[in-house]
Order: sequence, then C-alpha cells, then structure tokens
Amino acid sequence: MTASLYRLVYYSRNHVSGDAAEFATHVDDILAKSRQNNRRDEITGALLFNAGCFAQVLEGPLEKIEATFERIQQDDRHGDVSLLALNSIAARSFPNWAMGFVGTSNGDAERFAGISASSGFDISRLSGDQIHTLLRDLTIEEEAVA
Amino acid sequence: MNVATPFTTMTTSQTVDAPSTERILENLSHPVLALNAEGNIVYANSAAEASFGGWVIGLNIRDLFPGFAPASANVAEASSLVLVTKKDVAYDATLTPLGSAQFVLDLRLSTGPQQLTIVPDLDDLTGLAKRNMFMSHLTGAINRDDSASVAVHCLDLDRFKMVNDTLGHGIGDLLLKKVAERLTGACRKGDIVARLGGDEFVVLQHEVREPADAEKLAARIVDLVGRTYVLNGHTINIGVSVGVAMQGDFTQARDILRNGDLALYEAKRAGRGRYRVFEAGMDDLLHKRREMEIDLRRALALKQFELHYQPILDLSNDTVIGFEALLRWKHPVRGNVPPLDFIALAEENGLIVKIGEWVLRTACLEAASWSDGMIVAVNVSPLQFKADTLLETVASALEKSSLSAERLEIEITEGALLDDTDNVLQTLKALRELGVKISMDDFGTGYSSLSYLQKFPFSKIKIDRTFVASANADSEAILRAVAGLGTSLGMAITAEGVETAEQLARIRGERCTHVQGYLTGRPMAPEMISSFLARPKPHQ
Repeated sequence: MTASLYRLVYYSRNHVSGDAAEFATHVDDILAKSRQNNRRDEITGALLFNAGCFAQVLEGPLEKIEATFERIQQDDRHGDVSLLALNSIAARSFPNWAMGFVGTSNGDAERFAGISASSGFDISRLSGDQIHTLLRDLTIEEEAVA
Repeated sequence: MNVATPFTTMTTSQTVDAPSTERILENLSHPVLALNAEGNIVYANSAAEASFGGWVIGLNIRDLFPGFAPASANVAEASSLVLVTKKDVAYDATLTPLGSAQFVLDLRLSTGPQQLTIVPDLDDLTGLAKRNMFMSHLTGAINRDDSASVAVHCLDLDRFKMVNDTLGHGIGDLLLKKVAERLTGACRKGDIVARLGGDEFVVLQHEVREPADAEKLAARIVDLVGRTYVLNGHTINIGVSVGVAMQGDFTQARDILRNGDLALYEAKRAGRGRYRVFEAGMDDLLHKRREMEIDLRRALALKQFELHYQPILDLSNDTVIGFEALLRWKHPVRGNVPPLDFIALAEENGLIVKIGEWVLRTACLEAASWSDGMIVAVNVSPLQFKADTLLETVASALEKSSLSAERLEIEITEGALLDDTDNVLQTLKALRELGVKISMDDFGTGYSSLSYLQKFPFSKIKIDRTFVASANADSEAILRAVAGLGTSLGMAITAEGVETAEQLARIRGERCTHVQGYLTGRPMAPEMISSFLARPKPHQ
C-alpha cells in the first residue's frame, strides 16, 4: 500500500539575520510551518539548527520529499543548500517530527530547550546512522564558523 | 457656537467654495493643451508639462507630435485622433474647437492597441509566455509613459543538454518546469517570464529605478536556478548564464533584446553561471569576432593557411631530426594573424576540426618529401578528439602521402585528456598501434597532472618555454624534475623556446633529449627546408 520511503538530508547556511529574539521568532515560524506541512505530507524527520545553519532529515514518500525540498530551495532564508543524501530507506529513523537545537552555545541551548522537549527531540538518535552523525558534526561546525 | 454659525452659512453657498477652473485643470492627471490657429501651444497643464519634458508653451504641436496633421485642426466639432510622440508614446487625443480658431487638446495615454496585441500565447510545457507574447509585453512596457524603466534578462541554462542526454527528455522537461517555477518565484508580480524555446528563457522586469535593481534580480536568478534540483529521485545540478539589458533610450523591443543577448554571450564567454550587464562596446566586440569568423570560415577555401616548420634538434648528436608544423594565417587585409588570435575562435565554432585536418594532410605530404627518417610533429586540438574522426583522418593522411607512420608525431595538450578521458585514451592507443608517436605538449602550464603521464605512455614530453626562459632556481628545479621524470618513464624530453646559447648550455646539463627554439632554428617556409638541412651543423 505505502509508497516506498525515501530519505533526504541537507544542510544550509542560515540566512536569518537579526538579533536573538528575531532569530527565535524565525525558528518558531519555520517549525510551525514544517509541522503543519509535514503532517499533511506524511513527512517525518529531524530539523537541527543553531546560529550557523539549518540541517534537516526528511523521510517520506519521494514526491512529497521532492516538493518539500523544492520549497526550501526557493526560500530566501536558506542559502548554499548542500544535499548530503537522497536514498530509499526500509524504515523511518524519526517516526515523529523532531526538532532540536544542536550547538555549543549554552544560552541558545536554554532558549530552545522547550522546542526540543515538546518535539521529543532525542540527540542520541543522531548517532545511530553515519549520515546522521555527519549531519550533527557539520551543524556544530557551521555554528563555530557563523 | 457664535463663531460657528456664520461659517456654516457660508459653506452652504455653492459658488463661493468651488475651486478655480485653472486649479482643476492643473490637477488633472492627464495632459491638456490649448492650441492657436497655427498649432502653437498657448496653454499646458502640469500633467502636460510633466509628460512632454517641461516648458512646452510656445512650442508647436508638431514639435511634440511630428505626425500631427494641420488638417485635423480645421474641424468645426470635436474629433478623436491618435497622436504619437517622438519617443513612440501613443495618446488617444480629443481635439475640441474653442472658437476664435483656438482648440483644446485632451490627451490620454493610449492603452487600447497595445492591450489588443497581447494575445495569450503560452508554452505548453511550462505555461510561460512565448516569444510573440513576450515581445508584445515588452513593446507595451517601453511605450508606457512612466518614469520607471524596464530591464530584460536573457537566460541560457548551462549543462541542460547533458541532463537531457543522460537522464532523458522526460526528466529534461520536468527540469524545465521547475526552472520556470523558480524564475516566476524570483520575479515580482507583473514581471513577465517567457520561454523562447529549448533552454532559453527571458524575463521582463518592471519598475527598474536604477541598474542595481536589475543586477539584484540577475544575481538572484543565477543563485536560485543554480541550486540543486531533486527530480524523480535524481539529484540534478545545472547553472544559468544571464545577460541583462536596460531600457535606456531604446524605443524598440528588439534592440533591448539584442543587447540582452550580447550580454548573455559575454556571460557565457566569461565562464557561464554568472550574469553580465550590457555595455556599449559589446556589440562592437561581437561584430569584430563575427567578421573574424566569416574570414576564418573561408580561409581554408581561399588557401590563406600555410604551414611553417621549426627544426627539432637531437641533443645527443646535435642533428636536426625533424620539424614541428606550425600554422600560419596570411590574411590579405589583416596580414599575419597569430594563432593565439584565431585558434580559440576556431575551437569555439568547431572550425578547428576542418583546419586541423588540413594541417595533418599538408604536413604529412610535405614531410614525405624530406630526406629519410625526418619526422614531422603536428599539433592536434582537444576538439579534434571529440569529433571522433581523428583516427580516420590520420590514417588517410598517412596513406595519401605515403609517409611512414613512425615519422609522424602527434602533439596533444593536457586539455585533450580533461574530458571524456577514456575515449581519448582509446583513440591515442589506436593511433599508437598505427605506429604514430604521441607527445605531451606544453607540459608545466596546465594542471601538469602526473597521472596523465601514467595513463598513457607518451613518447615525448615537451616542457613549456616559460621554464626554459627564466633562469631562476625554481624554473631550473622544475625543468630538472620533469626531465628526470621523463627519463625514468622512458620518454624523450624536448625543451621549447630555446633562444640563447646560455639557455642551451643549461638544458644540456638537465637531461633534456631535444630542443626547439630560435637559437636552433626559426620556423621556416617549406621551400627553405632543403637548404637549411644542407648547411653546416650550427651550435655545436
């Protein structure tokens, strides 16, 4: 019945400028939209972010994933999008939609703790798979550069 | 209370507060003129002055509208006419006689005809406008009389053909649709995106206040279209080149579009995946290149090419072992055109394949007349490998000239090995099986990848002249290293561009096996070769 599952992984430089409060508003906005769209599109996954970049794992039917990715490509807030992986998978690694702050800044970690908790974000899930581990490392690296 | 009463009374009076006719006229948004019997303008409202460039009272109506017929002013009653300014702005006008041979001319920007010409003409695949519809929009926009101007962006996708060829037309079509969506997304409402055919798009940008507005959109298009696409599970990367033309003083749509195309050409020449804004001079440049191309196309037929031959000296016994064939173009007007000025153009338009064939045949024929064992070295362009006829051409040139294959040396540059390496290597192997020698030319100037030397057993490496010319320690080290490398790989080493006895002495010490240069022999016309070979040995 179900179409075969695909996974798409990308990360992008963060083009959201402004102060911390503005950034938080933006993140809230992105998260709210993602939740809404992704529930409709049967997409689950993980969104990682910090002051340097967004990184996302999208899991779901191929055409929905492609449409979501195209939306991201046309979004001004994302720049230099790097596609890290696109492949079919046997099962979802993130059965629910999880979002979490991944970074080294304690202040940011505290500020976004609520988001992680409410989405059931579990950082340990990011260590199981090679590409997930890579993604987490890249994200932290980008923060350092930002 | 007391104060209010007389005031209320006054406002009820209709006549006192009505603004003057003058004031009403001055505040109309469309131009109104009054003319005398001679057609001289005796009154102009503010809108008229703004539209026609300031102080117009005293001018004749024909100064504004050259086509205004005096006959139209002789009517007894109001008449409608269409008037067009020098800048091709059309107005629907009403000419009303005022008596005493005076007239009032009421002008409104013409919208009718331009609206009518825009018939929907959409591309089936992308739903974008097609060429005719775009041209109508552009013409309409130019003729609209407002202060903001328009810009045209001409687009060509980079590497689209590759997507079509490797993933099929189905994916190619999907990609074109996605590109169309991204373009539409990048533009503002009201801007027109059109597909002119294939992978050619064009954008009409409205309300361009300054050139920076147009550059901003062009940069956005380059960024957006160049971002990765995911289609049916395929990851696709293409790029786009953009040529931007501003409206400027142009009144003709085709002029703006042509400038956009010229700028696009420059963007592609500069390496694609970027935008260029049209500048005066680009057309001149292209004109010159086009003339050169026309000349180049007939140069073969008109026998304007010649080959000159530069001696190759074997350092082990200081004898000339052969010559390198060098192409010369003797143009009746331009004079001697250096290869640097025309080879790139010939490669760009593919003429190099025909020219290269002529060079091979001519060089083989010439060499066949030389004393036994003399070799001839011929340069072959990477484009000749791509043409897939090189092997055939070489075989036929050898056969027709009866030159034995061992006496032909093909010189290639690294550029030939950059793309499609496997195919090129196969051709090289087949050439070697014929008995032809292959040498690597200009080594040291490009990537100088050692892996190329490993991929194919070249019979000779030619070290670029720059390492011979400079006497510094670095150049010498490189010369020594390449010569050492060649020796251990069993390849001969030619040092090019030897001009002084000092350089020759230096090279002798570095295990080079051969030299070429002005010192050991300048390139010469074929008829000079026999006397050159007959003279006593030079430069012992």
